Amino acid sequence: MFAVAPEHLPDLSRVYYSSLPLWITLLPLLVGTGLYFFKSGADTLRKVISLLASLSALVGVIMLLPMVLSGTVLYDLVDFMQMGLFFEVDLVGWIFAFLIAFIWFLATLFSFVYMDFEHNRRRYYSVLIITLGAMLGIVLAGDFFTLFLFFELMTLSSFILVIHEQNREAMQAGLLYLYLGIAGGLALLFAIMMLYSATGTVDITPVLENLGPNRTAIYVLFLIGFGVKAGLVPLHIWLPQAHPVAPSPASALLSGIMIKAGAYGILRVSLVLYSSTGEISTADTAYLFNLGSVLMWIGIITMLSGAIMALLQGNMKRILAYSSVSQIGYIATGFGAAVFMGTEGAMGFAGSMYHIINHAFFKAGLFMMVGTIYMYTHELELSRLGGMLKKMPFVGATFIIAACGIAGIPGFNGYPSKTLIHDALLIAIKYNDLFSIELAEKIFTLTSALTICYFIKLFRGVFLGPVPEKLDRSYKLALSTKIVLSTFAAIIIAIGLFPNYILERFLVLPSEVLKYEGYAMDHLYHFNFFEWHPLEAMLIVVILALVIYVPGLYRNWFNWQPPPWLSIYALLYRPLTNRLMILTCKAGLVLDSTVDSVYNQSGNAARNVCDFVGNVDHGLDSFYKKWGLIGSKLAESSKDMDEKLDKLYQRSGKAARKLADKSADMDSALDKAYKKTGKAAQNLAKHSNDLDKALNVAYDKAGKKTRDEVEKHLAGKNKKQDKDESDKWTTKNLSFDNLLLVLVLGIVLIVIFYFGRSS
Amino acid sequence: MDKATVIIMMVVIVTLPIIMTPVLMYVCRFSDRLRNGLAVLTAATTFILTLMLYPFIRDGGVIQQSIFEILPDLEISIHLDILSFSLAALSSFVWLLCAIYSIDYMAKEHACSRYYPVLIFTLGACQGIFFAGDLFSLFVFFELMSIIAYILIIHEQTEEALKAGYKYLVMTIIGGLALFFGVIIIFEIGGTVSLGVGVIVSESSMLGLVAFICFLIGFGMKAGMFPLHVWLPDAHPVAPSPASALLSGIMLKTGAYGLFRVFFHVFSVDLLRSSGWNVILAVLAVITILLGSAVALTQSDIKRRLAYSSISQLGYILLGLSILNFNAITGATFHIFSHAFMKSTLFLAAGAIIWKTGIRNVNEMKGLGRLMPVTMGCFSLAALAMIGIPPLNGFLSKWTLALGALDAGLPGYVLVLLISSLLNALYYLPIIIPAFFEHPEGEENSHEGDDEKHEVQFKIKEATPLMLSAIAILALCTIIFGLTPNNIVFSLSRLTAQYLLGGGSF
Repeated sequence: MFAVAPEHLPDLSRVYYSSLPLWITLLPLLVGTGLYFFKSGADTLRKVISLLASLSALVGVIMLLPMVLSGTVLYDLVDFMQMGLFFEVDLVGWIFAFLIAFIWFLATLFSFVYMDFEHNRRRYYSVLIITLGAMLGIVLAGDFFTLFLFFELMTLSSFILVIHEQNREAMQAGLLYLYLGIAGGLALLFAIMMLYSATGTVDITPVLENLGPNRTAIYVLFLIGFGVKAGLVPLHIWLPQAHPVAPSPASALLSGIMIKAGAYGILRVSLVLYSSTGEISTADTAYLFNLGSVLMWIGIITMLSGAIMALLQGNMKRILAYSSVSQIGYIATGFGAAVFMGTEGAMGFAGSMYHIINHAFFKAGLFMMVGTIYMYTHELELSRLGGMLKKMPFVGATFIIAACGIAGIPGFNGYPSKTLIHDALLIAIKYNDLFSIELAEKIFTLTSALTICYFIKLFRGVFLGPVPEKLDRSYKLALSTKIVLSTFAAIIIAIGLFPNYILERFLVLPSEVLKYEGYAMDHLYHFNFFEWHPLEAMLIVVILALVIYVPGLYRNWFNWQPPPWLSIYALLYRPLTNRLMILTCKAGLVLDSTVDSVYNQSGNAARNVCDFVGNVDHGLDSFYKKWGLIGSKLAESSKDMDEKLDKLYQRSGKAARKLADKSADMDSALDKAYKKTGKAAQNLAKHSNDLDKALNVAYDKAGKKTRDEVEKHLAGKNKKQDKDESDKWTTKNLSFDNLLLVLVLGIVLIVIFYFGRSS
Repeated sequence: MDKATVIIMMVVIVTLPIIMTPVLMYVCRFSDRLRNGLAVLTAATTFILTLMLYPFIRDGGVIQQSIFEILPDLEISIHLDILSFSLAALSSFVWLLCAIYSIDYMAKEHACSRYYPVLIFTLGACQGIFFAGDLFSLFVFFELMSIIAYILIIHEQTEEALKAGYKYLVMTIIGGLALFFGVIIIFEIGGTVSLGVGVIVSESSMLGLVAFICFLIGFGMKAGMFPLHVWLPDAHPVAPSPASALLSGIMLKTGAYGLFRVFFHVFSVDLLRSSGWNVILAVLAVITILLGSAVALTQSDIKRRLAYSSISQLGYILLGLSILNFNAITGATFHIFSHAFMKSTLFLAAGAIIWKTGIRNVNEMKGLGRLMPVTMGCFSLAALAMIGIPPLNGFLSKWTLALGALDAGLPGYVLVLLISSLLNALYYLPIIIPAFFEHPEGEENSHEGDDEKHEVQFKIKEATPLMLSAIAILALCTIIFGLTPNNIVFSLSRLTAQYLLGGGSF
């Protein structure tokens, strides 16, 4: 019923092999590197070279167009980094490449005057051109590996652009950007590796069926990786800090182009990788519906919070940076709608692509216009600016055009893309009558109204009102600035007046490549932007904006500063990073020092054990010594006793001798007595002979007997004394050495006995 | 090239530096220049001789040859295969550059007459480790290198150095004993300790597990594996910078090399897979990676930070080894190379900074990029490679390792690698960004002035050309072996993985 007429289907199946994509990427990288080593002093030459480099990249991209319109351009640099560098350019990639090269060219031109007020130009131009090469590499890449290489290069090189001023604020913003960029890059790398492991390829082709059980994890990782760069809430926190501190042409590129690298990635993942070449099963359709809803709601939240934050800022560039966050939300919403609508998603896809193009022009333009004002006034705060419309009417005029573009006023370029995304939501409501999508549509309208509000605020602050005294002088714009700004204004008006040209020539074709069909596709072919239905939606937005702005102005809503604790940084990032850092560092340190102290303590314990063993050894030694002493004392005391005994014996011997002597005395006394009595008896016998002789014999006998007895006794005594003398050496010679010898012998015996038994 | 020539060359490669050691000691008496020249010449000769083995390796040659017997069944033997060749070539290359770097670096130092002979001797011992044909010879050379390296560590002879050296020595001895025990058990189980017989242990047993753990302790100690890493962050920073570069770049790898041999030549891969012993290593490796990175973040001494980073990077190699599939082994082998190039560059560059300016604290390095652009440039390159920024070689090894982990169905390991990468970024970027984009203390950022003054002024106070050339060659290696299509180091790693997983021997 809604089948597309066959003649609409162009032949896109041709394949061209050309090294052009490689050279488009490589040339800026080489020239940029060369520019750094090109010594200072020749500023003009440096400007010309960098302009030529971006121009040649632009020419190269345009040369790709005829090939891209009838097929794809392939180039494979085999084995570079083992995985190979693979370029594949189709129409979607080409649109991005063209936007990048074109706006880069204008930004380079704009830098000429702007950077004359800045330091360190050599580094600036060099890095500017290198970043161009990296950006082109991202969108010309044919697989995620190549894309990742350029993505990382872009992160690093754009970091140098962000911190160009090198003041404290810039360094802080730059580091936040870099760390988030690296974390995002790692998430992206993880996703790519999981993709490669699951499907065996890193090519950007439909692989929904082969992704396996980890497909949600892979998608989330991709979304984080690209979302950081795109500035999706809540990964956007670097963006409002980093974009304002960079030099204005760099801010224009960061906001207008580089965040699109993230959008490009989301596009490739959501609409190409997560699709199928054949029929999509019912389960997969439901899965994609959920995936798309999530993406859409992330987009809705991003767009609303970005718009509210933009409304509350007082710094020109910060308003624009938050506005970029909000606009990326539109793009994500469109892609989300395209994903969950499946084959009916043409409207969302085309709308988001269209918005990418438009946003690149008006946001880059706005940053350069604001940059021009900053260049002459060195003021970014709205409160210190005013009346610039009189001083720089040219900038004022272009600013009004760009602001109308971003506000979506019919006749300017924001209008067709916002209308398409809005229509995508309306079609979604038509097919799935869900409250959530209706709510999303309401928030969409509200955000569009808020966009108008903050641009009125920005315009009033900068261009209307009295001119501050300090700035009250005449300004003369440089020609190159005028050329750049008027180019942007012209393109914004041209697209706004002829919206169908780009739609039909560039956006319908890739929609067909993505196999969109049905009502939405049919609708896209014959879309009329200037009929009542879309205009009515826009009118509602404008009326709503006035309803919000007028009371807000009088009640001073827009200068309200949200308390610091309410910021996403304070609510989410600071606690998260602090906790994480404390956790990892503390845990690591504690673990490390614990291990270290375990070693030290075990070393100490070992030493203590050794000390103890040493003490035991020492104790044993002293034990032996002590016992040796006791032994020797014992020996000495036994020697004493011996001597005493000796003396005792000697004394008793003496006593015995005395006894013997005495008995001998007694004997002789007796003898004498007997002799006396014998004499007396002799005398008596003289008187009586017979009696006398008899008596004499008797007494002789008795005396002899007694002497024998005494002699016998004495002999026995002497014998006993001799025996004592021979026993003496055994106790007297017992010294300490002998004791030790015996002890050792005993121990040896015990040891021999013990071990003998055990073995 | 015939086999006999190869064997003679291998013997020469190992013995030449050892023989040159007393010569160097003797020459010291006469001339410093002669000594330095001779040391560099020895390293260069060793490197060239090692490279000359390449044609033999390219043809898939493997050599196992006994040299002489010490005890019955215990012999000194040599073994040459692609893994030995890769590491021997790498180590002699880095040694050569460190010897060249030492000439100027050590000119200010004391006791050079001790330094050079020891430097050259350890080269010989290191080559001996890589060419050892059996576990016993491996053990002998391993101990030789470890003990002699002590002299390099305590070179400064400060109290701190002596303390660190003592710690190193104690740990080395513990590791050596564990290793010896392991060798004995393997001899008991298999009756041989030769690396040329394919696989010695192919059945699970309690004794086998004990031997495995002994090897894990012995080699893991050298590789700085948790919880045996404690000596590393003390010993590496106190050594002279070229010695630190060698300690971190090469000597740690001998531990990893030993584990490679244990995993593929002692135990069979199937045994390790089925018994799950490799999980022990995997768990320790994961802890090592996270711990090293996290603690590095808290260090402010640049060399200590690098030492902790080494711990974490060695964890990558061990993790890759424990996964035991083609991509992981390729990644682990390639990371041995990558880390050698990256960490040697970092240590040598840090050495040049300390040598020239005396700055050791990373917070004082603001504006150093303008003072020493080449040194800081090389440092940044190697640091970015560490973080894993493509197209440098660190990215390629992480990519391959991660693919190996995913092939094995273990995405958790990839997460570990990526968290470690993020931590790497957190501790390397705060060194290199202020060095280039901030101004030294007390110097204001002036925006005024004429055209010339708008540009950043370089007040170059660089290290000497000899030192710079060593640093720059190593830094170039991080690029060359990252992006070149004909990446010889990567193909060597790939062939090594093929060879090792192909059953140990051809």
